[in-house]
Amino acid sequence: MPSSNPLPPKENALFKRILKCYEQKQYKNGLKFAKQILANPKYAEHGETLAMKGLTLNCLGRKEEAYEYVRRGLRNDLRSHVCWHVYGLLIRSDKKYDEAIKCYRNALKWEKDNMQILRDLSLLQIQMRDLEGYRDTRYQLFMLRPTQRASWIGFGMAYHLLQDYEMALKILEAFRNTQSKSSYDYEHSELLLYQNMVIQESGALEDALAHLDRYTDQICDKLSVMETWGKLYLELGRHKDAERIYKQLLHRNPENTGYYIKLQEALQLETSMDRLRMFDEYQALYPRALAPRRLPLNYAKGDEFRLIVDKYLRQGLHKGVPPLFVDLRSLYKDPEKIEIIQRLLLQYVDALKKIGKFSEEDPKSSPKEPASALLWAYYFLAQHYDFLGQTKQALSYIEAAIDHTPTLIELFVAKGRIYKHAGDVIEAYKWLDEAQGLDTADRYINSKCAKYMLRANLVKEAEETCSKFTREGVSAMENLNEMQCMWFQTECALAYQRLEKWGDALKKCHEVDRHFSEIIEDQFDFHTYCMRKMTLRSYVGLLRLEDVLRAHPFYFKAAKCAIEVYLRLHDKPVQDETAQQELNTENLAPAELKKLRNKQRKARRKAELERQQAAQAQEKREQHNKSRQQGDAEPDAPPQDELVPEKLARAEDPLEQAIKFLQPLQTLAAKRIDTHLMAFEIYSRKKKPLLMLQSVKRAYRLEPDNPRLHRCLILCHGYMEKCAGSLEAPVATVIQRELAPIFKGKDAKQLNAEFLAAHPNSLEALFEGSRMWYYLDPTQQEAAIKLCTKLDKNIEGICIKNCTVILQSLKSNDFGPCPTAVVDYEARCHALFPYAETFRPANSSTQAPPCDSNHLADITKENCIGN
Amino acid sequence: MNIRCAKPDDLMNMQHCNLLCLPENYQMKYYFYHGLSWPQLSYVAEDEKGQIVGYVLAKMEEDSEDNPHGHITSLAVKRSHRRLGLAQKLMDQASRAMVECFNAKYVSLHVRKSNRAALNLYTTTLKFTISEIEPKYYADGEDAYAMKRDLSSFAVQLNQTSDSNTVIDHKNSDEHKKIISERL
Repeated sequence: MPSSNPLPPKENALFKRILKCYEQKQYKNGLKFAKQILANPKYAEHGETLAMKGLTLNCLGRKEEAYEYVRRGLRNDLRSHVCWHVYGLLIRSDKKYDEAIKCYRNALKWEKDNMQILRDLSLLQIQMRDLEGYRDTRYQLFMLRPTQRASWIGFGMAYHLLQDYEMALKILEAFRNTQSKSSYDYEHSELLLYQNMVIQESGALEDALAHLDRYTDQICDKLSVMETWGKLYLELGRHKDAERIYKQLLHRNPENTGYYIKLQEALQLETSMDRLRMFDEYQALYPRALAPRRLPLNYAKGDEFRLIVDKYLRQGLHKGVPPLFVDLRSLYKDPEKIEIIQRLLLQYVDALKKIGKFSEEDPKSSPKEPASALLWAYYFLAQHYDFLGQTKQALSYIEAAIDHTPTLIELFVAKGRIYKHAGDVIEAYKWLDEAQGLDTADRYINSKCAKYMLRANLVKEAEETCSKFTREGVSAMENLNEMQCMWFQTECALAYQRLEKWGDALKKCHEVDRHFSEIIEDQFDFHTYCMRKMTLRSYVGLLRLEDVLRAHPFYFKAAKCAIEVYLRLHDKPVQDETAQQELNTENLAPAELKKLRNKQRKARRKAELERQQAAQAQEKREQHNKSRQQGDAEPDAPPQDELVPEKLARAEDPLEQAIKFLQPLQTLAAKRIDTHLMAFEIYSRKKKPLLMLQSVKRAYRLEPDNPRLHRCLILCHGYMEKCAGSLEAPVATVIQRELAPIFKGKDAKQLNAEFLAAHPNSLEALFEGSRMWYYLDPTQQEAAIKLCTKLDKNIEGICIKNCTVILQSLKSNDFGPCPTAVVDYEARCHALFPYAETFRPANSSTQAPPCDSNHLADITKENCIGN
Repeated sequence: MNIRCAKPDDLMNMQHCNLLCLPENYQMKYYFYHGLSWPQLSYVAEDEKGQIVGYVLAKMEEDSEDNPHGHITSLAVKRSHRRLGLAQKLMDQASRAMVECFNAKYVSLHVRKSNRAALNLYTTTLKFTISEIEPKYYADGEDAYAMKRDLSSFAVQLNQTSDSNTVIDHKNSDEHKKIISERL
């Protein structure tokens, strides 16, 4: 449908030039031509010209004017597909995809076969995963251009994504038939593999196998062919064929551990004896490969294990393989294996010191080991004892190693790690700094050093350390953000959280969240690209990855931090600084007051300076983005709101903000109990009984005995009892019915007593149970405190992390005021964990930074097993 | 340690490994670009927990149709996992895929002039030779050595082994045809 206000030839020619200028990014010229049309009073309100002028302005970063012109244009010509398309493009540039889709649809009402609009629409639909809409649009595109390759592919893929395999395969097969022999190349090969993938997903394994067999020699990706064969043969129970394939695959890559497992399956090996024999064979076949030597250690037990691990350790120590311990660490799930390894290592050290051999029983004629063997044995033992939480032994072995070879960087790293695990974050970072100083060209050491600094809450120092490897001219923070360096930003957020710099912590969390949004955005260009490249398997892989992107642990960590901070801000909002300061000045002497005022002035000046610098940096960044994006076909992305710590810390709706971080976790990290416990914390503050119920139920399904869940349940019990009267009848009924199987008609005290009785040896359970005991019955303060501060040998879970949580809880009066108990518990924990900073008596600590319960949150679980 | 071809899910963890180990970093989109253009060429080494401890990010140079060759965009192994020979194993797998899928004649890469350790690895272990010096190649102004490794011997080796595979494959597909016709 042509415009309702067609232009005469001269103006029409000008209009075409505007379009051309837009395509060629000659925006200034485009505006010139638009002006020429609009200067004619007859066409001053010409809709399509106004719209194009707006779109052009948008590309020049003049967003407000852009909207004004495009909207005016559209108003003047509501039946123009150009105006609607332009409006869609403008909105799309602001990433409001849903609305942009509506605009494109309106445009298509007036021009239903416009290829460009249909293509644009299909991109938005796939991006938004409107799969049905995508299929319909791809159908139209296919009907309009049946000779184009992309038409077929997009059409077929749409059905695949909708899991209509039959239709997808029909289309793909019809398309394959149109391919001529001369076009057999990489792209054709990828097409065949994609076709095969769809057949497999349809469940027709025999067909998939037949398809693969038929086209093998047209596929150049031999690895995919072989791996698919292997998989299909196994699934079809054709073990002999699978065996042959996995043997060939191992010949290609003897380091692929998955192949060995599949080969065992193909060989139907049942006993560990058979398995070990298989690995023997492969060791002989590929003597340089690591996997066939390492994997048997997973299967062997007892004497067999001792025999092969002895050989493995000796080889590693003889050759000097630094990652020897790291390589074996996963065996430490099995106490028997730990014991065997420890005994062997102690024997090596003994014998090496005495006679320079691994064992005093080694034959006299055997050659002596190199001097370094002892060093590597010390190094191994230091890591071994560290893993077991035996700090003293670990330190004595690492000292012995350093005495032996004072220049080995790995030793300082290990020493730092020992201190970290022992809870002394300051000493830990100092040793990493030492290591870093010995090899300033190694970024890995540099990164570790920065991480340890962050663990010690030394944000400035960490940034400075990182700056040795970030681009010059921008701050390290800035560059790390640009490079999406999420580990740093998350650790930084956690450090700020410990320092109670809530706004800064939130800024870092939001930065991480934005990376995830950006990575989802990144898909856009690949929708067309992959269809051209034919890498359809990977493309589907990308779509599936993006659907669950926030399932990544990086997101979880940042989201958890953000939620905790927002909860804290809800409970204790940050006060206005000046108001607070005014309050405090009342009781000051004039001299002190003057000093304070000076200090405040200085602080304000500094803050102002920082703000200016931030603004400059922001401007620079925008310019940088502009220059970088000039080559892109897409109009500039809208500048995002700047993240200002002071503003973030004063969010009006902290709970709503927390929910934004929570929601992706509820779908993508539903298997982690923390998700639902955090949800409970949020919704109980929002007083949403049904959502509270949902949270505890989900957590209960995962781990009914979880101690932290127990606390939520008790609180939930109380809340529901208290509010039962005020709830609407149907809500109350639902809650009652859903909680009945959990509470079984018992009251809170009874539930709590039963929980404590059921878990007498778990520190976490004792803590949560006794905390609730006091909560339900404050007269039991003494007994409750006694219970939760137990540190008997038979109790599981006595580790720095858990004890810190308990200490913090005591300090924050969860058990009522109990200063003597705090002092006593602190002292007993200090005796148990003499290196840990959190338990160090106040007077002996010289450089302890402020810290709280999250201080040691990252200590690995392994260190929680007994002492 | 497990060595395997990288999947789209690995790309973020490769970026993480890269940021820990190397000064040259890239945004995720660039990893996607590699993974979606040449899905066969990038490899990862992972530990038993599935953490990426090393990777090679590789591509084909698209400028020369007549003389196709691969390029190593980035190669890293965490310092905690050095001396296991992972770099070499990763490179061999990637190079083989370059030959098989894209008929690559050689593979190229850049290395900082000051990076003696890497230079040593590339020349002695991986058989690369310096082809030229590219002045000021890096953002901080440092020169790079442009290096190459010829892959023709690789190709010959592959032809020999793949011949024997083909024999089996044909026999095998015959078997299948029989099965299919029986079923029909």
